[in-house]
Amino acid sequence: MKISRNRRWILAGIAAVVLIVLIALNGDQFDQWMDQNGVVLRQAFVTGILIGGVFGLVAMGLTLIFGVLDIINFAHGALLTIGMYITFVLFDRFGIDPYLAVLITVPLLFLLGGIIQRTIIYPARNAPAHNQLLLTLGLALFIENLMLVVFTATPRSIRLSYGRGLTEIGPLAIDFPIRIAGTTITLTKLAAFIFAVFLTAVLYLLLQRTTLGKAIRATAQNKEGARLVGISTDRISLITFGLGVACVGAAAALVLPFLSVDPLVGNAFNITAFVIVVLGGMGSIPGALLGGLIIGLTQELGVVFAPSSTKLLGVFFVFILVLLLRPQGLLGKKE
Amino acid sequence: MIKNRKLLALLAIVVLLVAACAEDPTPTVEPVEEPTEEPVEEPTEEPAEEPPEEEMAGPINIGGIHPLTGGLAADGIQMDNAIQMAIDELNAAGGALGGVEFAYLGADSTGAAEVGQTEAERLIGEGAVALICCFQSAVTSNVAAIAERDGVPLVIDVAVADAILDQGHTYTFRLQPNATSMGVNGAQFLAELAENSGEEISSVVYLYEGTTGFGDSVRAAFVEEAANLGIEVLEEIGYAPFEVTDLTTEMTRINSLEPDALVVTGYYNDGLLAARNAEEVGLDVKVVYGIAQGTYDQPQFVADAGDLAECFYDSNYHWDASDPAAQEVRDSFQELYGEEMRTSAVLAYQAMYVIADAIERAGSADPAAIRDALAETNYADHILPYSGSITFDDTGETEVASPVVMQVQDGQIVQVWPTDLAESEPLFPCVSWGE
Repeated sequence: MKISRNRRWILAGIAAVVLIVLIALNGDQFDQWMDQNGVVLRQAFVTGILIGGVFGLVAMGLTLIFGVLDIINFAHGALLTIGMYITFVLFDRFGIDPYLAVLITVPLLFLLGGIIQRTIIYPARNAPAHNQLLLTLGLALFIENLMLVVFTATPRSIRLSYGRGLTEIGPLAIDFPIRIAGTTITLTKLAAFIFAVFLTAVLYLLLQRTTLGKAIRATAQNKEGARLVGISTDRISLITFGLGVACVGAAAALVLPFLSVDPLVGNAFNITAFVIVVLGGMGSIPGALLGGLIIGLTQELGVVFAPSSTKLLGVFFVFILVLLLRPQGLLGKKE
Repeated sequence: MIKNRKLLALLAIVVLLVAACAEDPTPTVEPVEEPTEEPVEEPTEEPAEEPPEEEMAGPINIGGIHPLTGGLAADGIQMDNAIQMAIDELNAAGGALGGVEFAYLGADSTGAAEVGQTEAERLIGEGAVALICCFQSAVTSNVAAIAERDGVPLVIDVAVADAILDQGHTYTFRLQPNATSMGVNGAQFLAELAENSGEEISSVVYLYEGTTGFGDSVRAAFVEEAANLGIEVLEEIGYAPFEVTDLTTEMTRINSLEPDALVVTGYYNDGLLAARNAEEVGLDVKVVYGIAQGTYDQPQFVADAGDLAECFYDSNYHWDASDPAAQEVRDSFQELYGEEMRTSAVLAYQAMYVIADAIERAGSADPAAIRDALAETNYADHILPYSGSITFDDTGETEVASPVVMQVQDGQIVQVWPTDLAESEPLFPCVSWGE
């Protein structure tokens, strides 16, 4: 791989800064620093990984849609908001547990994604990329305001009746929140992480092992070619968009136990999801998970090293760095 | 692939744009533009000097600008409704100037300063003789500049930044305590509460929303006053209120600093998140103390957080809970709009009455006359927890404006400090997850 001269200089610069910092922090100081910040560092790692898994799941839907349809879906966050409201209503009205609600939100949002693709995206399939992008941006604004009318701006949240103290999960009885070496792990975040990773694996297997997955990948690689061998790319586009939206359906149900929902909550995930997709490589499923974990960690480590700034500082630093050094993303295909 | 490159570039631009727009622009101080050559459509209806008995051409238009859409719409819509309610009440009681009715012109700032500014221009163009606005400091500074330029009085219901009235505006008046008052009184009340219980608060950590300017201005005032009171601020931790999804790491960090108290300034969602995460981490402090915190004095906090809400303090603007008249207003609001009236809405409601009082005293609906009357305001019949009548000082601040400390006790938000406004004894130290 050829690295341009410019990039080599940037890399060298970063290495130099890291080295200087390491030298500046000699042994004693390092120990002292760890004494003070060790527990925060550990917590940052734990939270970063847990929340990163969920970020990854959201980004996966985005990256899947991009990989196959070449569309940057700006309504992704807004669709997450819809998913969260559906979960909220299921819990509030019908008492359905949010983890059970995954079984409802996923098919519902799959359906919604299909409808959106058919009615809004498909007719504009031949329009220039920026038109399609603006289309999804408009859709996002529409959804946000629709949610505002239906649910008002009052934030809604749910409270699980379990998850505190000794909780029985199958044969295990675990005392929540789990405390290890000063760090705190709550049931809600642990569950979100485990489900998110599980769903990522399912989606990955679906793409790798099934005929449908092969057809999706074929369409992503070469639409013409896929059509030539008899794949209905229109149908694949429909299914892929549905799958991508279904991902946020799952994520929505998983985050509601620890995050309140209002019409704009999706924005919080939108920005990170885009950064993750670029970081992981546009169209790469494992890249989305990897990117999610890295961004989760970056965000939380920001609290350790720069507490007076907001968490997004580190995220955008990484974003810019990736654009400069590896525009195709960590696991992206080379151009 | 060239196409990919283009998309990527486009994406990068849009992401940064969206990120920038997601947050409120910092208050931009608009240079007062030179007046447009033709005077903006004067409110044509009233010959100002005519005796009030004379039939007037139309109603007295009052403009209101609040965020009716966007992340702060929950408050904005209530404030808009509250002004409408006040106007309906006033009209039912015979209007002003011997029978002229008020009419309300409501506008949506969408939470953006530039939109608020254009809306202010529009309302004035449509004949508004006084404005009530804005809930956000950034929007308010722009609207205040317009009010000054066009000579139309503005009564700020809610907007905290000191800077709004530091511009030497003569047409702008503010009902709520400003950031300095919030921070300074907040710090003093915290010290007094501790002393009252024979405790000491010698160190705190300050957690604040760091992107809209509101959290930062209150924090700055607190930190300055804390130094005078001998309270050490161990660290100031900022977060982005509309993007934050978790504060566990922040709470762990705060725990490792071992402060006596955690002080929090922010909006509702992030405040709730902070409370939940503090409990999960088992934050080891004597109290969690909000200052101008949009969560810990809201009944919704108790509904959302349950037992966890107990003990939380908030030093904030409020209605006077010890005044039965305030309760009546809140009851009729609830009946009309089906929601519990928020403090922000109470202030918007109050602002309308203060304007009506000024118009009555001015004997005219001429904006300049209303301004002069507003400057002379001495309004005793209010429902705010202020020790005396509402009067405005030279800069336009309410002289008696002061926050009041509230605490969640047995699922109720009660006023606990200062003592003359207290409904109940403060519990101190107190956290809901303590043993």
